[in-house]
Amino acid sequence: MTPTKVHQLGIIALIVFTVAAPWVLPLFVDSFWVDIYSEMLIWSLLAASVNLLFGYVGLLSFGQALFFGMGMYGVAIGIAKMGLGFWPAFGFGTFLATAMAAVAGVFAVRLTWHYFAIITVVFSLIFYFTALSWKPLTGGDDGLPFSMPPIFTFGEDVKLSLTNTTIQYYFIALTVGLCYTLLAIVLRSPLGRAFRTVKENDMRASLIGLNVYLVRLTAFICAGFIAGVAGSLFAFFGRYASASYMFYHVSGEAVVWAIIGGVGTLLGPVVGTSLLIILREELSHVWEHYLLLVGSIVIIVVIFAPRGLGGLWHGLVNRLASRNDGTLDSSEETKL
Amino acid sequence: MTDIPVLEITNVEKHFGGLVALDSVNAAVESGKLTAIIGPNGAGKTTLFNVITGILPASAGQLKFQGQDITRKSAHEISRLGLARTLQIKSVFNGMTVRENLWIAAQSRDGVFKPFQRASKSKRANETADRICEELGLSALANQEASNLSYGDIALLEIGLALATEPKLLLLDEPICGMGPAETEQTVAKIQELAKRIDIVIIEHDIEVVFDISEDIIVMNLGQILARGTPKEIASNVAVRAAYLGDDDA
Ligand SMILES: Nc1ncnc2c1ncn2[C@@H]1O[C@H](COP(=O)(O)OP(=O)(O)OP(=O)(O)O)[C@@H](O)[C@H]1O
Ligand SMILES: [Mg+2]
Repeated sequence: MTPTKVHQLGIIALIVFTVAAPWVLPLFVDSFWVDIYSEMLIWSLLAASVNLLFGYVGLLSFGQALFFGMGMYGVAIGIAKMGLGFWPAFGFGTFLATAMAAVAGVFAVRLTWHYFAIITVVFSLIFYFTALSWKPLTGGDDGLPFSMPPIFTFGEDVKLSLTNTTIQYYFIALTVGLCYTLLAIVLRSPLGRAFRTVKENDMRASLIGLNVYLVRLTAFICAGFIAGVAGSLFAFFGRYASASYMFYHVSGEAVVWAIIGGVGTLLGPVVGTSLLIILREELSHVWEHYLLLVGSIVIIVVIFAPRGLGGLWHGLVNRLASRNDGTLDSSEETKL
Repeated sequence: MTDIPVLEITNVEKHFGGLVALDSVNAAVESGKLTAIIGPNGAGKTTLFNVITGILPASAGQLKFQGQDITRKSAHEISRLGLARTLQIKSVFNGMTVRENLWIAAQSRDGVFKPFQRASKSKRANETADRICEELGLSALANQEASNLSYGDIALLEIGLALATEPKLLLLDEPICGMGPAETEQTVAKIQELAKRIDIVIIEHDIEVVFDISEDIIVMNLGQILARGTPKEIASNVAVRAAYLGDDDA
């Protein structure tokens, strides 16, 4: 079996599991794990947003929660204050996040490394405090709740809404799946290769004619879009928006998820996010210092498996494959 | 077209704090001749390339490429105009295969902002990458990650990256430094062959090679152009012998 086949099988397994989860999970564990799984899928998009920047373009952002928060507020304000329906609110949240990323990106991607990381934190802090203090619009400390508009109505009787838990689950799973599909398409395009090229060596990239600034800005906006979709979904999921999800603590968590899952691999963030959320669910009420364990895991991963669990998986598959038929597959087509 | 110089350097200066790395440099590079730049370490040769290619801004002066002012253009714009270079400190895209390295350089001509197209379907870039692999004898290594290459092969890939952008003028910064004798011979032959269709300026420390392949030699010292002429003229230039060739009886 070629590495590509193994990876495809892995993806199919993940899709099958996701589709079957609402029936299968309750057979083994408490049914609230279905909810937690949809939450994991949403958060994995935030990690994917970090991963796109760090793993593919080489920019470490500690501010992706800003765009997540923008998505949340876009949806909540759209529905509660502007009276928007479901789809316009979804669009508004995602748009707001993407536009914010375009504005912040214009400044941030001029910088690299720690300066870039710092400016992303600064941006998210500014808007965190703005959201906290702008009470009439954002609800301040209390957050902004809203009641769920229907996704779709037809006449009097047909009404589709996320208040139905099954619909909510599949809506989230489908949207998250679409985001990863989009990401996969972009990553194997000329733009995706330009991302990797800029990450490898930005000076050389500019010498072969790549506009490094524009490539980075594009990636930053794409990452903002993904985080915005995640935030919008999370607003629907919780039926409210809150500034606390914009805090850099949340951004930092997404960085940890991405690193443990494996930067530079498409689905690493799903693995990292799921694993750490399971850890949190299982350990946080038994052991209040469970973050010590998380910290240790991060240190171990960074030292011994810098490409995270996703990287370990790729290494394993490639090694097994090269033992079988001597071919090594390192093209980006298979880096999933 | 042939009467305007391919590259025109007018009163170009570059200061690093108090250090004057380029001191009012004036030179015109003619099309159709292989031009060499020589000079002792720290003479400002690489700095001149950096200023020409937009890696560093000039402190003063003007640069023209094919008659067009490029003084304030950025590196990627200058590359797009058809001016390519290699780096003295060899640096390629290490985590990518040899073919991917060449592919992205070729694709940059057609634009990379194509998020919904499949990279592997870019016909022209694929062909260019394969052609240059072959031309430089790197075909057997095409699927190797660049980080696995030997020093000499990295130097070749450096040249390949520049060639993949299909330049009109190619600046080579010590391209054979670190190569073995056989590789050197091949690469020098390759450079001579390229010089028939591309204008080339080469910085090189190996005087024998320089005198062998170039028709026009610029000698730099302390940020200035000390002398300029044919290999014959340079060989007999007293100032050059004193400053550079270390000839004590001059
Ligand atoms: N980015 C920089 N910042 C500060 N000083 C620099 C910089 N680049 C070059 N210099 C200085 O400018 C002078 C010229 O350096 P340059 O690299 O151009 O010399 P060179 O002629 O290429 O020498 P070599 O033959 O050793 O490559 C040196 O004194 C060098 O230390
Ligand atoms: Mg030099």
